[in-house]
Amino acid sequence: MNNQVLLEPIGKDEYELFFGPAHPGSGNFSVKLKVEGEIVTSARANPGYLHRGFEKLMEYRLPIQNAVLSDRICILESLNWNLIHAEAVDELMGIEIPERAKYIRVILAELSRIQSHIIWFGVFSIGTGFDTGFKMAFGYRDYILDLFEMITGGRVYSAGYICPGGVRRDLPKGAEEKILNVLDKINEMVKLEEMGNPALSARAKGVGVLKLEDAIRLGATGPLLRAAGMRVDVRKEDPYEVYDKLDFDIPVRKEGDAYARYMIGIEEIKQSMKIVKQALKDMPKGEHIAPQFKKPKLNMKIPEGEVYVRNEGGRGEVAIHMVSDGSAEPYRVKIRGPSFLHMISVLEFLLKGVQIADVPAVYWSLNICPADLDR
Amino acid sequence: MKGNLKNEEQLLKEIVSNYNVEGKIQREKRVWINTDKENLISICKFAKEKGFEHLSSISVTDWIKEGEYEITYHLWSYEKKVLLTIKIRISRKNPSAPSVSSIWDRNAQIHEREMHEMFGVEFKGNDDLAPLFLDDWQGLPPFRKDFDWREYVKKEFYNKDNEREVVYRE
Amino acid sequence: MKKESSKKKSMKKIIKAIWIFNWFNSCGFCELVPVVGSRWDMERFGMIVVGSPRHADVLFISGYQTLKSIKVAQRIYEQMPDPKVVLALGSCTMTGGMYWDSYNTIKRLDDYLPVTMYIPGCPPRPEAVFEACSKIFQHVKEME
Repeated sequence: MNNQVLLEPIGKDEYELFFGPAHPGSGNFSVKLKVEGEIVTSARANPGYLHRGFEKLMEYRLPIQNAVLSDRICILESLNWNLIHAEAVDELMGIEIPERAKYIRVILAELSRIQSHIIWFGVFSIGTGFDTGFKMAFGYRDYILDLFEMITGGRVYSAGYICPGGVRRDLPKGAEEKILNVLDKINEMVKLEEMGNPALSARAKGVGVLKLEDAIRLGATGPLLRAAGMRVDVRKEDPYEVYDKLDFDIPVRKEGDAYARYMIGIEEIKQSMKIVKQALKDMPKGEHIAPQFKKPKLNMKIPEGEVYVRNEGGRGEVAIHMVSDGSAEPYRVKIRGPSFLHMISVLEFLLKGVQIADVPAVYWSLNICPADLDR
Repeated sequence: MKGNLKNEEQLLKEIVSNYNVEGKIQREKRVWINTDKENLISICKFAKEKGFEHLSSISVTDWIKEGEYEITYHLWSYEKKVLLTIKIRISRKNPSAPSVSSIWDRNAQIHEREMHEMFGVEFKGNDDLAPLFLDDWQGLPPFRKDFDWREYVKKEFYNKDNEREVVYRE
Repeated sequence: MKKESSKKKSMKKIIKAIWIFNWFNSCGFCELVPVVGSRWDMERFGMIVVGSPRHADVLFISGYQTLKSIKVAQRIYEQMPDPKVVLALGSCTMTGGMYWDSYNTIKRLDDYLPVTMYIPGCPPRPEAVFEACSKIFQHVKEME
């Protein structure tokens, strides 16, 4: 009953607005705003339009089947979710992965992060009125999707390419030159974005300021902490795969507003390109999958135990807690997505005292994905 | 892997000497502790003073054969770069636990709200336990082990008279 | 008879360009937006995306629907003026797909909305979406 569309007057100038899922500026998520005149006095998030219950769906399936299901937790960065599920199963089963497979995993994860940041610019630009940015971003994103199709077989969903034990197939011939060509094209796009646009900076500067103490108290992670001044990244503090052997920087800004978050996204694309070039150079020759997974048996049992794995996704900290009781399927899987706290606690905090016209700029600058909130 | 576990060992020694708990070091940067409901709030306050200011997640596991729920709290410290996990066990009939939202604020409140909706756990001290994802759900809390999804889906959605839609597994 | 033929003539005049309502659910977002973008530009065929259901002719249901979001889709369908067309995109919408044993998704869209055309795939490629849109023009000519 409390989820119906309401537009009723409360006081003299106050009324309720429903910024809902069918609004062109909002995605698959809705927020109920209490507005007085032009200023928002309070907001309450209303998620649940995409809830499928992934955590229990995974309890009915084997780990090989789960590798295909884990793509679909968040469509915007599907290979990163594939990677963290494979890491959780590897650590539970105690498998040693060959070096070449680790480098291939890192290359694909960084390409997926670049693609996800490009989508972020596209929708942020259209939310603040810069329409050319949207068309430009989605045009350049298609180069990366063609590359995914050549390596993994699918444009958006890779059908479990990063599976427990390594990767399913080795890189095809000619993949390395093609990757370097695509990175040159993305370099052009970064130069164009850096020039900036007066409409975008006027609407994004000084809006949605999040200071460091509030960010840590509300549970924000990833680019939101970096835009507020803290140099933190899971790839450096809690390294996984081969990130401790690669050399890259962490960009940091002090202001904490929407424009600072936008500029950090551009810097992160440059750092990801640096990582991919290093990984291509250092990659050794060898096997691409652990020997016991070459022809996996369907009733391979997972040993008893539990494990907690953390990764750095494009939007923040990503984690999986997996428990097993000795049978072939996992007993309990808990998925922690970055948007869970960003969209409920940080958004409600930032929307107090903002004008209605600034609501899309604040909303899209947090880089949210409703699918990994609802799972 | 690296061999230098000084931070983890010191942390475990401090906690074990102050409170009567069992713990172990699983690998580099991972410390796990088992305790009970009464000591939970004091251990959490102690951890927060030692620098564990980021609550990564709260999760519930349903051990139906033993008749217990196990609640796990994962805490990360930005200075020490160590993950501390605290586990408690409560009974499955009328499950209730103290809330840690007095220590970690909105972060903990929202995680507890989700666990209340999915498993039915009452968190004492949390004043906002309204449903988050589901709209007018009358039935068992969905993630419990005695709620079989495949049986439910066969009854609600699939037509018994239509032969092509009979669902079976092996 | 006279009433029907004049209605058909006026409909043929109306449907020369298709306006699509902006309801990109779940998986459809990632494969419908390139159709709008610059590689597979759909504006050259006369199709644009509008923001209000009162201006739209076509409703794309592009992805799995949950019990909460199908209520919103039904309300949008009722607000669209005649003649209107519903397209179901993706295998999860038509048959339940990969989430067949989930308690919160709907398994058959036919039970909730009258569907005109089905586009299979997971997710379907942009070329498949184009072929479906070109068939809409043909469908309108044969419609009564």
